[in-house]
Parts: sequence; C-alpha cells; structure tokens
Amino acid sequence: MASRDKDEPGVSRRSFLQTVGAGGVAAGVLGPASAGAQDARAAGPGAVPVQLNINGRVHRLELEPRVTLLDALRTRLEMTGAKRVCDRGSCGACTVLVDGRTAYSCSMLAIEAQGKQIRTVESLTQGTVLHPVQQAFCDRDGLMCGFCTPGFVVSAAALLERTPKPTAAEARAALDGNICRCGTYVRVLEAALNTGGRRG
Amino acid sequence: MADQPQQPPAQGAAQPAGPQAAWPPPAERALLGKPIQRLDGPDKAAGRAKYTYDILRPGMLYGRLLDSPHPHARVRSIDLSAAQKLPGVRAVLALKDPAQPETARVRYQGEEVAAVAATTEELAEDAIRLIRVDYEVLPHLATVEEAMRPEAPRVFEKGNVTEPQERADGGDVEAALKSSAHVIEGLYSTQVQTHTSLETHGGLCEWNGDQLTAWVSTQAVHGTREGTARALGIPQSNVRVITQYMGGGFGSKLGGDIQVVICARLAKMANAPVKLMLDRKEEHLVTGNRPSAHARLRAGVDAQGTLTAIDAETWGTGGAGQGAFFPVPYQVYVFPVRRQRHRDVYINAGPQRAFRAPGHPQSCFVTEIVMDELADRLGMDPLELRLRNLPPEADNAQWARYFKMGAERIGWSRRHATGDTAPGPIKRGLGCAANRWGGGGSRRTRGLCEILPDGGVVTRVGTQDIGTGTRTLVAIVTAETMGLPIEAVAAEIGDSNHPYAPGSGGSVTAPSVSSIVRIAAEHARRELFARVAPALGADPSSLVARDGRVYVGGDPSTGMTWKEACKRLGTEPISAPAEWQQGLSSVGTSGVQFADVEVDVETGIARVKKIVCVQDCGMIVDRLTAESQCQGGIIMGLGFALFEHRILDRNTGQMVNPNMEWYLVPGMSDVPEIDLTLVDQPERGVVGIGEPPVISTAAAIGNAVANAIGVRVRSLPITPETVLTALGSARPGGTR
Repeated sequence: MASRDKDEPGVSRRSFLQTVGAGGVAAGVLGPASAGAQDARAAGPGAVPVQLNINGRVHRLELEPRVTLLDALRTRLEMTGAKRVCDRGSCGACTVLVDGRTAYSCSMLAIEAQGKQIRTVESLTQGTVLHPVQQAFCDRDGLMCGFCTPGFVVSAAALLERTPKPTAAEARAALDGNICRCGTYVRVLEAALNTGGRRG
Repeated sequence: MADQPQQPPAQGAAQPAGPQAAWPPPAERALLGKPIQRLDGPDKAAGRAKYTYDILRPGMLYGRLLDSPHPHARVRSIDLSAAQKLPGVRAVLALKDPAQPETARVRYQGEEVAAVAATTEELAEDAIRLIRVDYEVLPHLATVEEAMRPEAPRVFEKGNVTEPQERADGGDVEAALKSSAHVIEGLYSTQVQTHTSLETHGGLCEWNGDQLTAWVSTQAVHGTREGTARALGIPQSNVRVITQYMGGGFGSKLGGDIQVVICARLAKMANAPVKLMLDRKEEHLVTGNRPSAHARLRAGVDAQGTLTAIDAETWGTGGAGQGAFFPVPYQVYVFPVRRQRHRDVYINAGPQRAFRAPGHPQSCFVTEIVMDELADRLGMDPLELRLRNLPPEADNAQWARYFKMGAERIGWSRRHATGDTAPGPIKRGLGCAANRWGGGGSRRTRGLCEILPDGGVVTRVGTQDIGTGTRTLVAIVTAETMGLPIEAVAAEIGDSNHPYAPGSGGSVTAPSVSSIVRIAAEHARRELFARVAPALGADPSSLVARDGRVYVGGDPSTGMTWKEACKRLGTEPISAPAEWQQGLSSVGTSGVQFADVEVDVETGIARVKKIVCVQDCGMIVDRLTAESQCQGGIIMGLGFALFEHRILDRNTGQMVNPNMEWYLVPGMSDVPEIDLTLVDQPERGVVGIGEPPVISTAAAIGNAVANAIGVRVRSLPITPETVLTALGSARPGGTR
C-alpha cells in the first residue's frame, strides 16, 4: 500500500544506515587495505562521479557523497519542483518516486539513488499538458501558496498509479506524509478522489 | 499590520477625474463572486513556479548564518580566519562587534552572529563550522513564571516585565461582581505558536553597480524595499524587490527582514549574487511567533443570564520583544463593567511578530471559555447566554443570525449538558465561539491599468500573492470590467516597481487591491470608450464592454469586437493610473464557528469530527479561493487548539522542538469535516477574510471538549496530557 511508504519516512535513511553498516562489515572481512581502496572511490570526502537516472534520462554528476538527492536535483540539475522544508523526512515537500515508491529526497543521499529510477514532479507534465492529478489540484483549488503542492502531487500520483480508485481512507493515509501550512487538505483530498473527473 | 484601513481622506487629496467607480449590479457579473480557479495553479501544480528559494542566478553563491546557541550571552570574540581561508568561500561577515557592548549582546537562541557565502551550500555549512566564537554566557529567562519572580535576574534593561497597561470601563468592577448571581474565577492560558511558513525567510540579492535586485520571500515588496534600503543606507530608488511566488508568511514576512540585509551585504562583499534562506530550525527560532497569553480573571452574570462584569489580570510573552497584549473580554459580548491590567513579560526567546489575527485567537479562547463556564453555573444553554449578551446588530455584527445558522448546521439541539454520560471511553461534545475582524481597504493603495492597441490588457499593482489568490483577484476584476475572459488579461504583481500597495497583512489586501483595480480598469475603459465613441456615432457614456465586444448599451449589434476597438488606439496604449476611492470595500466582519469533538477519556486524545463555520465575507470576488481561505484558517486554528506549542527548555533556554516532527502542525488525518457557509453581502463591497476564520476554532474546540468530558481544560494546546490531568483532578458536580 502506498501509505506504507509514508508511514516509514525513514526508509531512505534506514537503507542509508544499512549501507553504512554493510560497508563496515565488508571492511572487516576484506581487511583495511582493500576496503580503503574501495572507500576512496565510494565515500569521498571529495566529489565522486554519480550517475542518476531521473525522469528516464541519465545524468552524470560529480558530487560529494554528503549531497542529498534533493540538493542534487535542486541545485545541480535545476529541477526545483521538489522543495526543502523540514529537511528531515517529516513534511513530504521533497517527495519523489524512487523505483515507483514515494521517498523523501531530503533524507536520501544522491549516491544512494544510483541505479534506481527516479521520477520527479517535472516528469508528470507532458509539454504544457498537466497530469490528471495536477489538473485535479487546479480544478479543486488543492493549492494555496503552492510550496507543498509538488510533494502532494507526487504522493497523489503514486497513490493513483497503485490504487486507481482509492477510498477516502486510503487517500488520507497515502497523503499523511505531506504537510501543508495554508490548510489545503480538504481540497487536496477532493483532488485525489476526483482525478480525471471521476467522482470518488 | 501597519495599515490603518479606511482613514478619512487627507485634506487636499486629489480625487481623480471621472465618476465614482462602482461594482456592476450582481445580475450583470460575469466573473465576480463565481468560483474561479487560480491563474497560477498550473505552474504551482507542475512544480514550475519559481519561489525565491528556487531561483538560481549565474555565478550565484549560497549564504549561511552562524546563530547563537545561547539564549543570552555576550560575544567576546569572533575568529573568522579559518572560514575565510576555506577554498570556495567568497565572503565572511561578523554580525556582532565584541568591541561594542550593545551589539555584542545576544538576547535569544538563533540570533545572528556571523554569515558566510560560498560556492555550494555544503561548503557554506563547512565555513560556518570553522568560525570560532567565544561567548560569555549570561543568565537567561526561559519562562514567564521565572521572569516574573521578584528575585529573577534582570535580563532586560527596562526590567523583565513592562509597566502595567490598565483599562477600566463602565463603573465599579468589585461592586458589580459582588452583586452578581454567579462569579467564576480562573487562570486561562494559550501557548506560543510559530508561523512555520513552509518557505523559510530569506532572499537572493544581486548587485549591478549600486543597483540591488532582491528576490525575497515576503508579504510586502514595498515594505521590504524600504526596510532593506534603510538598513543598507542606500536610496530606495536603487532597490527593486521581486516576489512572484512565496511559500507562506501568515504575518511573519511583513518586510525589512535582517536575512535579506545580510544577504545583500554578502553579495556586495563577494561581488556575486547570493541566496540566503534560513533553515527550519532558524525559522522556528527567529522569524516570529504568536505570543503566549495568560489571564487570571473573575467574571459575573446575573440570575437572568445578563453578563455583569469581568476583571482580568493578563500577561504574556513575545520573547525578547514587546507586543503580547490581547484584550479581555474579546469584544463580541457585552460586559457592562470591565477592567483589565496587562503586562508584557520579556524572556530570552525570538521576538513575536504579527501572526494571522494578532491577539484575537487568545482573546477569543479566554472569553468564550468563560462564557460556557458562566452558562454552566446558570444551568443555561451556552448559546442562549451568548444570544442574550450580544451588541446591537450591524452589517458587520450579525452574530445572532450566524449563531442560529451554525446551530442548525451542527445539530445543536442534540447537545447534552456538560459531561457526556454515554457509556464507554469515547465522549462526544459540542461547542461554539464567535469572531470579529476589521479588514478594510487601505486608501494608500495605487494601481495602473493599460489597454494596448492589440487588445491586450495589463493591470499592475505592487501587491503580492501569498497564497491567498491575489494575482487571480487582480485578473478577475480587470476582466470583469473589460467584459473579457480572464485569460485575456494580465495581472502583474509582486514587484516593487509597480504602484504601491500595502503589505499583505491585516486582511486588507482583497479590499485594497480589488478596489484599486476596479478604479484603474474603469478609468482605462472610459478612455477607450472616448476613443471609440465617434466611430459608433454614440455618446461615450452610453457604451458598454461585455462578452468581448464594445457596443451601445442594450444593443450588441451596434458595436465592434474588443480587438477592433483597441485597434483604434493606433500606436498609443492607454495607461490609466488609479487613486483611491471609498465605497468599493468596507470594514469589519463577523462570524461564528461550532465544533463537534470526540474525546477518549482513557487516552486523553481529542479528535475533531466537524467544524461548522458561518463567515461574513462582504462581497465575494472569487468563491473558490474565499472558501479555501476559510478552510485554511480553520485548519490552522485546529493546530493552535490541539497540537502546536513552542517548547523552551527551562534549564538551557533552548527550543526543544525547532523542527516539524515535534512541532506539530495538522496533517491530512487530523482534518475534520468542514461545513462552510460564506455569507455573501455584495452590497457591502469587498472585505478581507484572511484572518477571521482562524480566530474561533480553538475556542469552539475547547468548549466542545469540556462539553464532552465534563471538566474544563483552561489552557492550550489541549493535549492528551492536559485532558488526563483535568480529568484526574476533576471534582464531582460539573466544570471547574
């Protein structure tokens, strides 16, 4: 269920910790010399080559390992739809899809996103034609200042890809990982339930 | 909130030529009052909208601040040398001068001590870590209780507590209370709430010689131009402030922000554009908050249910700044005799700022809880007590009517007496509360409407859209006036180079901007009619513009298309400025809210099932965005009622929850059913409704919780802990 992803905002953080943990174990097995040789490429501290597959296009970047996926998108690739708001996986403004599942890109390192299919809000629009979810947000006024909106749109799109006809409870659960301060929730829920003109 | 709406016209103020502007009769409105989608919805939903935070300029550097970790300290020394040597760092600034005792002081956690600009954000953070600051840590005050103790260290020059502000009216309060049939006595309080704007404060500053362009996340492009120029000591004409999109402010972004000034200094020093946006922690600490409120009071009522008197000792803290006043009683119900003695208390925390309806939610909570407690003493329906004590009805004071409408919609007749006696742990309850607000137009607002020879129409106003739909409103009024579809006109806002409009605060924006746009558009249209009339062989005053045509009123076959009409301008566009005229907006709203809640008396968790809102909106410009605005206010009020709380650690004076996982704002699953009735009063003209809907929600919820559980929580937020504490100390025999 889509809600699962958002119930576990730490997914990416946790997998990061697992990665670090595994590295530690590997170092123990391989011995310091070979581990050191590997780490020099994989862990910096300087910039390392990073390949990201974003919206179906491969981007080759030189990034310090500490750079988050969100910052790579925003400041290196100029994809500024995803926003940094809480910067610690609790507000959802940075939501992107990683291998089809919603993820908080503020809490995932760019190096960790390699080899995965990343989709951002920018991928949903075809030219100037909005994705049905985006259109529903406009029709229902599911946005005010709009700063949280791209995150909500990605979460709603992910929900509908998985569950084309969600119940209100399913939609609420799927959107519970996103925070809006203007208070657009009522409209956002209506938009998620009425995408494509369908009455939910 | 600087704008005092609807002042009388200044002497000698030039009135523009031409007749008084007016709204079209309701039956003739094509767009006004209809539900119209916001123009910038597609850009926002697509992630294309560029907020200050999103803008990238060639060669741009990233700014970061070093903040004081201490709530009260003196900076003894700052060593910038290591930061300056870090490759990629292009500017480093000390913001405290150890040599000057006054500027060396830090009065709250998060106060700015130094700043850097570097080629990447990560490098800027590294540089911040390399700055060495030696602090002399001074004694601090983290709570009002501490600050008010006579033996407390005197942390602020003028003392920790201000001189009392006294107001008394209507006679001898002691005598009036003494002769009351019932008197309740208690201590009521509300917490500090932070604005938690999703886009943090900050800006992007770029110099071109001595000309500064600043993209700023602000509610006031003109206020920011003025404040930034003054702080930098440069002419205001050298500064241009741009805000096309901004991610929420709620009163905390009304201009002259220090972050923008620092950013401009870094940009000058580095000779490159610099973007400096606060992080989430800084945003909680330094960008303002709603002050706390405490009221120790006595209130009386006679045996028939007429209020007699209220006597309140009040205090609150706006942190290291003043401005915690809130009136008691809230000025809805008539207490014939009243006395209030208020003091502001300083503590070592970030200063307060205007926050959506400053003072009102606090005032409303205290007063409305008192109303229910008095009704309980009388054994009277609290709605009945309210209806008996309202002031005379007026356009902007129609609580009696709205209370009856709201009662109908929430199902007030099923309300039980205080304390749900149903079996099981889940108790249900109903409560209500009223609100009022000013929110008229500012007569200093200016605008410009242009009609271009190719048929284009552009309206320029130096306002900004803070999420309220102002851009759309400018287009609606322009299009309505020209008889064009909304897509055929352009609304140019968010730039200090446009004519002056007030900061978006105090709910003055919709009345100010709608009025000035109508006036400007009518001027422009009148000029066009004058140019077209000869060709139609008609008197200009007989012409109308409707459905994309210009024709003699009553006979669409006489005219020409809008484009043909504009072609007659030849090469010269019409450029019509507008001066303020009274009459298109008015001051004052009234409204009520009802809450239906469920409280689990085993866990203490309160859930709001439904909120009913009846809100006077004056003349509605866009029904869709007006409704959204009301829903948003209610949801923010729900956060104030149940979740939001800035918590300072008593020992360190540091904020415990400067983030979004422990500073809780409502999420999707917290939001109840919201039943809105917007009372459209087209004859009144436009009235702002940004703030009214946030005022009553917490008070209505507070009363509903007491109605459910039979005991009273007299403080906000109403958390499981405060509910269980109230239940644990409950005495038999009703609320305490």
